[in-house]
Amino acid sequence: MTYSPSFRRFAFAYGTANAVFYVVALARDLALFTVFPSLGVVLLGTHHSRDVGDPSLGFLAPAIYWYGWTATAAIGALIPSFIATFFPEQWTRRIWLGWLWVVPVSAMVACVYLTMPWFRL
Amino acid sequence: MATALVIIHGLVAVALLGAITHQTLATWAPAGSRPGSFFGRFRAVPSASFTNAIVVLYAVSALLGAVVYLFFRVDVRPELERDGHWQALGFFDLKEHFISIGLGLLPAYWVCWRKPLADELGRTRAALTAVIALIVWWSYLTGHVMNNIMGFG
Repeated sequence: MTYSPSFRRFAFAYGTANAVFYVVALARDLALFTVFPSLGVVLLGTHHSRDVGDPSLGFLAPAIYWYGWTATAAIGALIPSFIATFFPEQWTRRIWLGWLWVVPVSAMVACVYLTMPWFRL
Repeated sequence: MATALVIIHGLVAVALLGAITHQTLATWAPAGSRPGSFFGRFRAVPSASFTNAIVVLYAVSALLGAVVYLFFRVDVRPELERDGHWQALGFFDLKEHFISIGLGLLPAYWVCWRKPLADELGRTRAALTAVIALIVWWSYLTGHVMNNIMGFG
């Protein structure tokens, strides 16, 4: 199986864009949807328990945001990736390939920073 | 149901861990290893042949993990919160984040390992493989600890 140059541009743009979008979704709490597994309910957007009732409801109806953040990043990254497929080959050849791993590693470091509150409890 | 899924998730993760570790070490190991030595034989295996398996195993493992996460969020995490395992929960959150970032990297990783291997992608290929290996190892160890934490505690 082989691949076309436009798929290569798509794949490289998608890897970096997904990492950036994921960190933005996490930092800004932009979940495409929120899942309440104990209730069997899925709501569009980010919904915290305190939005609709007593904060203690968070223990009764725990929410999952990870699916929503992942979906936000995965779908959001499609836009720049599709745009990248239309770029001429000579443009993309000038872009440093190292961004393909530097950006995701930086995103992982940003995730560590955003997760630090857990370690201060 | 949840127990069966966790066991299958764990088995898929072990297969993924073996494949990505082999590919990463073969990619990063120095080329001057003696032909008959352990590393020499280890390195002789064509690394590219692992690529499709790694992509499929990563995707399947992430999918199974996402399903198991439903049970974890309802039945396990509240117990861990009650017992104050905040650091473990932090490590587990990192696992979620890393996996999502790794999922997005799979198409680029696949392209980098397509034959004939492009010379200009050599460093990128090695770096991407190492990043995915880091994610897989982190996820495996964190998942393993979380699975046993109440036994430890």
